[in-house]
Amino acid sequence: MAGGMTVAMPAGSSRRAQVALAALPVLALAVLPFAGMPPDYTRILFTALVWITASIAWNLLGGFAGQVSFGFAVFYGLGAYTAMMMMNRGFSPYTSFLGSMSVAVIASFLVGLPTFRLRGPYFTISTIGVTEAVRVMMNNLSITGGASGIHIEEHAQFHELDHYYSALVLAAGALCVSMLVANSRFGLALRAIRQDEDAAADLGVNPYRCKLWVHAIGAALTGAAGGVFAHRAAVIYPQDVFAFNVGIFILLMPVIGGIGTVWGAVLGGIVFVIIKESLVARFPKVHLLLYGALLVLIILFEPDGLAGLLRRLAGRTRILLGKQPA
Amino acid sequence: MNVEDFFNLLKDAVLLAGIYAAMSMGMTVIYGVMKIVNLAHAGFMMLGAYFAFELYYLPERLPASWVERFPLLGHHVDPILGATLALPTFFLFGMGVYWLLVRWLPRSDQPTLASLLLMFGFWQVLQNAGYLIWKNEDRSIFTARTISPPLHLGFLSFSVDRLVVFLAAVSCVVLLQIGMKRSWFGMSVRSLIQNPLASQIVGVNEEKTRRLAFGLGASLAGFAGALLAMLYTFSPDFGSPFQLRSFVIIVLGGLESFSGVAFGALVLALVETFSIQLVPASYQAAISYGLLVVVLLFLPKGIAGLLEKKWRVA
Repeated sequence: MAGGMTVAMPAGSSRRAQVALAALPVLALAVLPFAGMPPDYTRILFTALVWITASIAWNLLGGFAGQVSFGFAVFYGLGAYTAMMMMNRGFSPYTSFLGSMSVAVIASFLVGLPTFRLRGPYFTISTIGVTEAVRVMMNNLSITGGASGIHIEEHAQFHELDHYYSALVLAAGALCVSMLVANSRFGLALRAIRQDEDAAADLGVNPYRCKLWVHAIGAALTGAAGGVFAHRAAVIYPQDVFAFNVGIFILLMPVIGGIGTVWGAVLGGIVFVIIKESLVARFPKVHLLLYGALLVLIILFEPDGLAGLLRRLAGRTRILLGKQPA
Repeated sequence: MNVEDFFNLLKDAVLLAGIYAAMSMGMTVIYGVMKIVNLAHAGFMMLGAYFAFELYYLPERLPASWVERFPLLGHHVDPILGATLALPTFFLFGMGVYWLLVRWLPRSDQPTLASLLLMFGFWQVLQNAGYLIWKNEDRSIFTARTISPPLHLGFLSFSVDRLVVFLAAVSCVVLLQIGMKRSWFGMSVRSLIQNPLASQIVGVNEEKTRRLAFGLGASLAGFAGALLAMLYTFSPDFGSPFQLRSFVIIVLGGLESFSGVAFGALVLALVETFSIQLVPASYQAAISYGLLVVVLLFLPKGIAGLLEKKWRVA
């Protein structure tokens, strides 16, 4: 094959290509509002960017380190609530997002310190317990307004593009973090933990500490996503942002897209939002059924998700092309 | 709290523990044999509840002419009978699910992520199919027993419904124990739990035992769901709090031991019943979740540590 196309690009030479690959869609999305995009699309893209951020964040822990958590709704909800309460006390939205991140990081340690004592699947189940317990508490605490939710008291002028760009910056930041982690020593340690925790420990990796840190990074990004969402939504309810379903959605996206890959998480987020936007209004329960079925099918037929499917298809076409006489 | 209250709460806890034990047995069987945490347990329980519900209200759905021709059809199917019928029905259903989905999973001596996600996805399918069929409405089964006056024994008072459910659950658990001790299948299950390789060498058909065990787990879940439907209102989201409780129970009991399940059920029932004295009712739901986290905190080695401790005591 001419042009030196290899199946697995070496990490060093491809880094520039990867950055270019990431920068292109971000730039495109940045100029899109000035290219006459309809306002409704801005809203959908905003939603997509928020979900993609959460998807990337989850993938750091669930994909790279292999620790599947059902509990990211906790960070999403805490981020949303923190941003809301700080904005109501006169902080600027951007300071409030930082507040969301810090609260989510603190929560991630509170959750992670006990639960990371458990190995893989047991950790996963304990996160179900944590997210349900937090939801029950948020439904009943008076400081957060209980089940009746919380809303922004002083409305600044609503600028759709403000929200859009904060989501875009956040998603781009999440993508950068994800790429940095994927190419770093830390990322290698995480992958080692995913493959064999004991072997990783023998090689001088501290699995417990690594998991805690990557959990904190994921939580910070998810918390910020919750904050950005709350800023635009202006009213939030504990049964919405802390819902068990939120945790499921955050987990579904990378699994659909391709667990443990930088772009799988992004791809999964896009597919997720497309399904959600086209189905949720008309058939509110069918889209959950569809996600469940999709999860079953992906586990049985393509555990590497859409990214794995694409890679396989690409490989097949390449073989086909290669076999053709030049 | 005076002595009478204390003993009444204790009685409540024991009655609750019976049904908790029955609902967790199914999860233990499946976990023990194939190391799968059955996250679709809640789905089976929900279907079991609706199974009893549909059977009970069947006469009102059937055309009047049928009921005239076959007067037997006019009788309500008692939920206890419904629960008993759920056993074979869900056994077949569970084996079907095993054949369709579960047998493709990679085998492992510890729970795999794939199995967790697969069962979780299947739960979502069941739950949302439930929403499509039965809508998001709270249902309950209202029998003559529901409103019958409680029985009194000294200062203890027993709600008839709870007593009947307790007896049904306990007899099921006892029968299961006997079956596990005596039958070839029970011995196969126990040998697979102890040592999969050695049991295959002595002639245990692993694939068949796995299939039967999954069927048994599903049938016990359906049975427990039908029993719980007599005590609580239910919707398609019915099983999820009970599923987490089941997991807390089997973790408390050491995951693979049937007597451990009874112990775990009793502990959880006691904690839940007596915490009403201390914690506001709206936080009740957090108790079992909290207990899970507490077990983790105080047993830093997790499940393995729990098992070791249990063995040291025994």
